[in-house]
Amino acid sequence: MHFSEDDLREALKRKDPGEGFTQRVMARVEQAKAEGKTKPANGNGNRSFLAWWRLRPAWTFAVVALLLLGFAWGGYQYSEYRHGEEMRIAAEKQRQMEEKQKELQAEAEKAKAQAILALEIARAKLNHVLQQAQVPVGIDKIRRQRL
Amino acid sequence: MKRVMGMIVGLALCCAAARGYGQDAKIQLDSLNKLSDKAARVTDVTLDGSLLQFAVNMIEKADDGDEDVAQLKSIMKNLKGIYVKSFEFDEASQYSKADVESVRSQITARWTKIVQSIDKRSNEHDEIYLLKSGSGEHVAGVLILVAEPKELTVVNIVGDVPVEKISSLEHHFVINDRDSGKKQKKEKSHDEE
Repeated sequence: MHFSEDDLREALKRKDPGEGFTQRVMARVEQAKAEGKTKPANGNGNRSFLAWWRLRPAWTFAVVALLLLGFAWGGYQYSEYRHGEEMRIAAEKQRQMEEKQKELQAEAEKAKAQAILALEIARAKLNHVLQQAQVPVGIDKIRRQRL
Repeated sequence: MKRVMGMIVGLALCCAAARGYGQDAKIQLDSLNKLSDKAARVTDVTLDGSLLQFAVNMIEKADDGDEDVAQLKSIMKNLKGIYVKSFEFDEASQYSKADVESVRSQITARWTKIVQSIDKRSNEHDEIYLLKSGSGEHVAGVLILVAEPKELTVVNIVGDVPVEKISSLEHHFVINDRDSGKKQKKEKSHDEE
């Protein structure tokens, strides 16, 4: 769509707002002022809240005391929980150490039994071979002679 | 500098020699494992390193007043390893000469055969070998090989082995303590039951 210069001039030329324009504007201004007065301001609200507290100091102390008690109870509960956890971990470590000790003991007992078994077989076979070979003297003497 | 280098090389050679002696004293017995299937009873003991130390510690904790325990302690204290493989068969000829040879072939010139017994009537062949330490003053290892028709036993003890003490160990002491050791034994008859 194209606008000619005449169209623009026509559209932008001064127009008469008509009679009573000033009165209408002033009436709007008055109305806006009246609405502003009736709305409560935020600053005013806070001031009234603080004023309420100032009037009831006992409530303030009660709330602060309650909060302090809550913190103290929470702290105590937490320390109890931590203590319990530490005890549980210590008991678990102790149990693990005892189990490990038992395992080592069992392993040592088994090793001892195996060593004794091995020496028993060694003794039996050594004496058997010496008997078969009809060696009347002790093995230490033989060893010394041969070495 | 050359002197320090010489000392280091000398030390390394000594360590290598000592290690070599230790390795020579241990005979590989794994080749006999295949006989386990045929054997009615297998006794397999392998004790070295920390396990042997455990055993020594346990024996050392035992009653000091007992002479047998004292003797056992004196035997065990210088040992580095105890290896036993014993196979008892229900029938004869369950193992071959090659099985025995696999053990005998590892015996080097440093080993000395101190006893040999061959009984052709009962087909039994027994041998005892000693390995001398580097200085020649101590025993570094013992090998006892007993090959009977129905039994093959190889005992290899590494370390300074007081053979005469083992030979004179009280039988009753060993038997008493052997009860727990019996659990190690695999008895085929039980398996079949």
